[in-house]
Amino acid sequence: MGRTTRPWQMSTNTDSGVAARVRSGERAALEQAFNSHGGAVKSMAMRVLREESLAEDVVQDVFVAFWRDPAKFDDSRGSLRTFLVTIAHRRAVDLVRAEEARFRREERVPQESEPSIDDEVWTRALGDTVRKALDELPDRERKAIAMAYFGGLSYVEVARRLGEPEGTIKSRIRAGMTKLSVSLAGVST
Amino acid sequence: MSHSDIRDLIPLYALDALEEPEAAEVDRHLKDCEDCRQLLSESYQVTSLMADDGPAPSHVWQRIDYQISDLEKSEIVDLATRRKQRRWMSIALAAATAAVVFAGVTIMQQSIEGDEALVALAGGVADNQGSVVADFVVDDASVAQVVLGVDGVGYVIPTDSLAPLDSDRTYQLWVITPDEKVISAGVLGATPGPSTFTWKGDVAGFALTREVAGGVVSSDGDVVSLITDI
Ligand SMILES: [Zn+2]
Repeated sequence: MGRTTRPWQMSTNTDSGVAARVRSGERAALEQAFNSHGGAVKSMAMRVLREESLAEDVVQDVFVAFWRDPAKFDDSRGSLRTFLVTIAHRRAVDLVRAEEARFRREERVPQESEPSIDDEVWTRALGDTVRKALDELPDRERKAIAMAYFGGLSYVEVARRLGEPEGTIKSRIRAGMTKLSVSLAGVST
Repeated sequence: MSHSDIRDLIPLYALDALEEPEAAEVDRHLKDCEDCRQLLSESYQVTSLMADDGPAPSHVWQRIDYQISDLEKSEIVDLATRRKQRRWMSIALAAATAAVVFAGVTIMQQSIEGDEALVALAGGVADNQGSVVADFVVDDASVAQVVLGVDGVGYVIPTDSLAPLDSDRTYQLWVITPDEKVISAGVLGATPGPSTFTWKGDVAGFALTREVAGGVVSSDGDVVSLITDI
């Protein structure tokens, strides 16, 4: 959204400034981080959870966690946006898996047991650059990545659902991710 | 696992696609391996591009702000008070975000089957095993009975003791979940009759509040009665 033209270095500087202010307990700095990245954090949670109220719970968790432990963010490792979005994905996946475990314990069938393996549903809403990069992947690699990342599934579970060996799925995901790293290199956030 | 085994797992780790024993092993290895940490950072760069930069959900900021204030206060407030306070705060909060909450909530259906039929239905459900039955009490008098069946269909049956509100106000029903979230179950109107609502999930309590008619954007959390002993 017009942010990609901003030099990487500059955005990092801004991030480290914001993080330092959060570390010193400045709530306005957290609000600034929220205003800049809250939308991205929510969109990531929504992709996995597909439910507004759960996604908003994740947004809340992510920013409160950052407030409580801002030192976890290391600006030499990547942008603040990447850091926050990464936590959001992890939490969303934890929620999805906890829910599935609960269904298994109670021997019930999950209501929406199979996340759609129609990965077009997921990639449709992505930004142009990323969608293009995903579209360039072989179908089998794209599908494995989408099922894992947007469906919150482990590669073991992806393998089970596709009826393929685990090693095959592992290789497809790895191959796809390597290609994405190359085609998306230099796209800054 | 060797460095190269772990390195093969890093892209899957970045996708959160590993299960516990393997993820833990990668975690341990990352502590001592800069090479793998670097690869992980690059992988996260890629995965994080899959989020889009929409507008931040500003009403969630209020919740964050509240929770942080609550964290800061919590050291000087004893546990019992804190639990209570959190509950009140949550109610004010949930009301503040009602515009969004309402998206998933039906305004209560009043009297489609006729008041008497609804009361009879509620009475039947109240007798069923597993149903939740509770009273909103004001000054030792029940102002409304809540019945929630195992199928997730609930009933609110007001008594004559429930005072009518001005037409620009409404009663509103809230469900309190076991983890103390307060979620709108529907708007009852200024002079509520028997109504239904749906709630699927565990319930720790209910709250009845007075709000501005039609749905509130912000609220003073004007609680009429609270049920917390379910
Ligand atoms: Zn290594």
